[in-house]
Amino acid sequence: MANEARKLVVIDRVVKRYGGETVLDGVSLDVDAGQVMVVIGPSGSGKSTLLRCLARLEAIQKGRILIDGALVAKGADEPGPAPDAAAARLSHDVGMVFQSFNLFPHLTVLENVTLAPRRVRGMAAAEAEALAMELLGRVGLEDKRDVHPARLSGGQQQRAAIARALAMKPRIMLFDEVTSALDPELVGEVLKTMRGLAEQGMTMLVVTHEMGFARDVADDVVFMDRGAIVERAPPGRIFSQPAEARTRAFLERLLEREGGSRRSR
Amino acid sequence: MGDLQFGPILGYLPDLLDGIVVTIGLSAVSVALGLVIGLVLALARYSGFAWLDWPAYAYIEFFRTTPPLVQIVWLYYGLPALVGHDLDAFWSAAVALGLNIAAFFAEIFRAGILGVDRTQWQAARVLGLGLGDTLRFVVLPQALRNVLPATGTTVIYLVKGTALATAIGTPELLRVGQLIALETFRPVETLTIVAVAYFVLTYPIALAFQALERRMTASRV
Ligand SMILES: Nc1ncnc2c1ncn2[C@@H]1O[C@H](COP(=O)(O)OP(=O)(O)OP(=O)(O)O)[C@@H](O)[C@H]1O
Ligand SMILES: [Mg+2]
Repeated sequence: MANEARKLVVIDRVVKRYGGETVLDGVSLDVDAGQVMVVIGPSGSGKSTLLRCLARLEAIQKGRILIDGALVAKGADEPGPAPDAAAARLSHDVGMVFQSFNLFPHLTVLENVTLAPRRVRGMAAAEAEALAMELLGRVGLEDKRDVHPARLSGGQQQRAAIARALAMKPRIMLFDEVTSALDPELVGEVLKTMRGLAEQGMTMLVVTHEMGFARDVADDVVFMDRGAIVERAPPGRIFSQPAEARTRAFLERLLEREGGSRRSR
Repeated sequence: MGDLQFGPILGYLPDLLDGIVVTIGLSAVSVALGLVIGLVLALARYSGFAWLDWPAYAYIEFFRTTPPLVQIVWLYYGLPALVGHDLDAFWSAAVALGLNIAAFFAEIFRAGILGVDRTQWQAARVLGLGLGDTLRFVVLPQALRNVLPATGTTVIYLVKGTALATAIGTPELLRVGQLIALETFRPVETLTIVAVAYFVLTYPIALAFQALERRMTASRV
């Protein structure tokens, strides 16, 4: 606990239930500033739920979540005062990118990116636009500023969604299978944007099936199964000699499928 | 039945125009009232809070299932008995029709809001947008496009529905027409002219909604 203060993210014995179903069963995980953590695991293991709890889209039933030492969520029976929901929301520390982009379809790319800085931060229009153009430059979409999302390819939409999240200057970015809905030839451009972010020192929690990305970019890979973290190790180790039988079985299935789909292409 | 003769009615055109003005006034007041109350009801129903949802549900079902004619009469004759304060024939009809149409707008708007994907709310939430901003900048603009066709139909329905105000003597278009028919003994001709007047009032509304819909769709792609 003494070094909690140095951790950017501390997830401490978090339990999440939907009705009677326990989806996160005492998950503990911490992430240092600048770390890239890749989360893998079978469908239904709770990966998305973990990210959604971090993004405060879901309440947790037990445990605590701290970001940069500040309590942002806790279970009802944890001691201490409840986190200040308004303050937590206003700290904008967590950005999230979804599998289905979730851009605002009635707004242009530029308006998508500037909306939150203007409304939440109270940024002036010109300032927000300058910020947005810088971010759109980073994701390679300056020329799409006045286009509506429907006119963009999936890869472009996802890059716009990344720029939109970055506009709030989050301290940690969450990515939930952000390339899964993309045509295979569009996956690369989004991964490249994410690699760039990682190189610039962004703290990232990435749920993905892209093992190449995990191998190259992740500091640690976390394997989840049935609502719990089974194993956490650097990619070099977890892919070559996983400690747990369940991790090995999962990776074998994944590699088989990857090999299969690669051959069929 | 003799020949149709529109000549005798021409002298009453100023009266018909007065009636048209009253009909426009009734429509404008009740649509404005209905839109505001309808939006509040829709949000109350959508909120998921029982203490908001339940009263809104009761309101909607009450006004949807009782005749608007009766609602107008209730308000005109019943309100003074109840609170000792009365509304004149124009305001009784305008308010009653507004309260009535609000129930229909509410259901249209609720469906429109439900038609906006949950993930849009979530995207707004993780960006830090509050409830008000999420509604104003993210959800309602998208819902608006969904609800335009049904809203247009309902507005047109209401403009014609203002004729129910005849029951309490509000001097709107149909009422004026009926009086002219009595004086001229030309009900078919008079009512035909009245129908044409309603068409002239409502068709531009239909066109306006169609144009709006086209514009909102065009700006999206
Ligand atoms: N809103 C919800 N209500 C009820 N149950 C839910 C809800 N969201 C998720 N669950 C359940 O929680 C469990 C974990 O879901 P989650 O989406 O976190 O898994 P995942 O690891 O992200 O899976 P996938 O790889 O398929 O995305 C599943 O059993 C799912 O059915
Ligand atoms: Mg998931």
